[in-house]
Amino acid sequence: MTPTVSASGLSLRYGGTRALDDVSLRLSPGVTGLLGPNGAGKTTLLRVLATSVPADSGAFTVLGHDPGTPAGRQEARRRLGYLPQTPGFHPDFTAFEFVDYVAILKEMTDRAVRHREVRAVLDGVDLSDVRGKRVKKLSGGMRQRVALAAALIGDPGFLVLDEPTVGLDPEQRMRFRELIAQAGEGRTVLLSTHQTEDVAMLCHRVLVMAGGRILFDGTPAELTARAAGRVWSSTERDPGAKAGWRTGTGSFRNVGSPPAGAELLEPTLEDGYLLTLDDAEVPA
Amino acid sequence: MTWHVDAEDLRAYSQGELAPPAFWSADTHLVACARCRAALAEVSESVDAGWVRLDAELDAPRPGLVERLLVRFGVADHTARLLSATSVLRRSWLGAVVAVLLMSVVAARSTGSVTLFLVLAPLLPLAGVALSYGPALDPTYEMAVVAPVHGFRLLMIRTVAVLTACFGLSVLASFALPGYGLRALAWLLPALALASAGLALSARLGPLLAPSLVGGAWVTLLWAVHAYDAHATLMPFTVAGQATAAGVAALAAGLLFLVRDRFDHFQGSAV
Repeated sequence: MTPTVSASGLSLRYGGTRALDDVSLRLSPGVTGLLGPNGAGKTTLLRVLATSVPADSGAFTVLGHDPGTPAGRQEARRRLGYLPQTPGFHPDFTAFEFVDYVAILKEMTDRAVRHREVRAVLDGVDLSDVRGKRVKKLSGGMRQRVALAAALIGDPGFLVLDEPTVGLDPEQRMRFRELIAQAGEGRTVLLSTHQTEDVAMLCHRVLVMAGGRILFDGTPAELTARAAGRVWSSTERDPGAKAGWRTGTGSFRNVGSPPAGAELLEPTLEDGYLLTLDDAEVPA
Repeated sequence: MTWHVDAEDLRAYSQGELAPPAFWSADTHLVACARCRAALAEVSESVDAGWVRLDAELDAPRPGLVERLLVRFGVADHTARLLSATSVLRRSWLGAVVAVLLMSVVAARSTGSVTLFLVLAPLLPLAGVALSYGPALDPTYEMAVVAPVHGFRLLMIRTVAVLTACFGLSVLASFALPGYGLRALAWLLPALALASAGLALSARLGPLLAPSLVGGAWVTLLWAVHAYDAHATLMPFTVAGQATAAGVAALAAGLLFLVRDRFDHFQGSAV
């Protein structure tokens, strides 16, 4: 199958920071999670793949189009949806007007067709009842859904979501995850997140990134399996553990190299993620 | 075929409003007549398009005041919506521009000198253009920059709107200074020079630093000229100064055109 996105050797230096360091990847339909600590380069990678920021070196294609050329960039942009980390809204716009504005930016000039599409995407994110309300009067979860609706305008084949569940309460997060799962049906979604639950619930594939490099590329099960035999329980925090934290039962969950006779626990995706960062000597 | 379904019946048929027995007759005839089927398809399409248009009109919220005014002046509805997202076309900004112009006109009338007006008027479009785009001031900038609409085109649409508003208000203010004749319009070429230089430099320096530097350079130039000879007409408002401003505006416009592709990417911290 031809990948939706194919990138090789992407590098970008910003000031003294190496934001991307020789990143290569291929993305296919479904939701791919991008995990990493703050400053890992996740947002930079998303901005490069969304054609917002050009890489210093390397190349990539989006649905066969090369964003390195003006014509290819425009074609790629016609086929992608982008939800930035902190989507902004014009304060006086209603939900409908905001999505309509983004639809115009996506070259939809026929008013009737555009308005039908705007209504469809707002219905798709369950906002049909509030489409006439000003965005600034909506809750954080609703605003995030308005931004997702805007990203979905034009039925993009490649959807880039930068930490869309940050700041949402657990109920809103669950609702938003359902919408991302729907959006991932039949299209390629790249989802940057801090939440390993997002990846566990939504993604068929996960990338772990730190220091501008991709440290892991595989399935969530493969990431979890990295922690097999390396998670154990103790009554006190084990000083030999790479990381350890008190759980709801009062005991400590430790990851690293377990001492002899330790009570081993079933690993989770979070354990695999922490150990991947630790193996690369990156602070989580 | 000896007969065909007439246009009125076809329209009623397409909308499900043709009653029996005319319906049965038309139904049977359409099975056998390609010409009437083609005519039915045309009628159906036009009815569907009509419903889509009506649906869109009923569903769309009423546009805001600025947007309605723009459409009334002949601007396409989609361009009007793009412009309505330009923060400096909002009442607060336009009110500030009017206040500055009023203040400088009152100062000119009370002191008998038009200098303050001529100094301030060119800064208004420069500030307006600077405030109309960029990651710090346009809340939807990050979404707009990855849209297929070229960033330079969007910038130019907004720039023309901002310049039209600023120039219109400044020209009205100039009419309030009839005693100065054409001298009251001497801000126009420097305003064009500052706005175009600010835009051209912002491609490299960013949308905040570039206009700040250009505005600072303008004020410094005027201060230095005034310090050199406090009684003479300030150099930018002489014939030679106006010619220089026109030259700077033309050069900056050319440079802006050359660097237009830079506006197609994010201008700000990428990390």
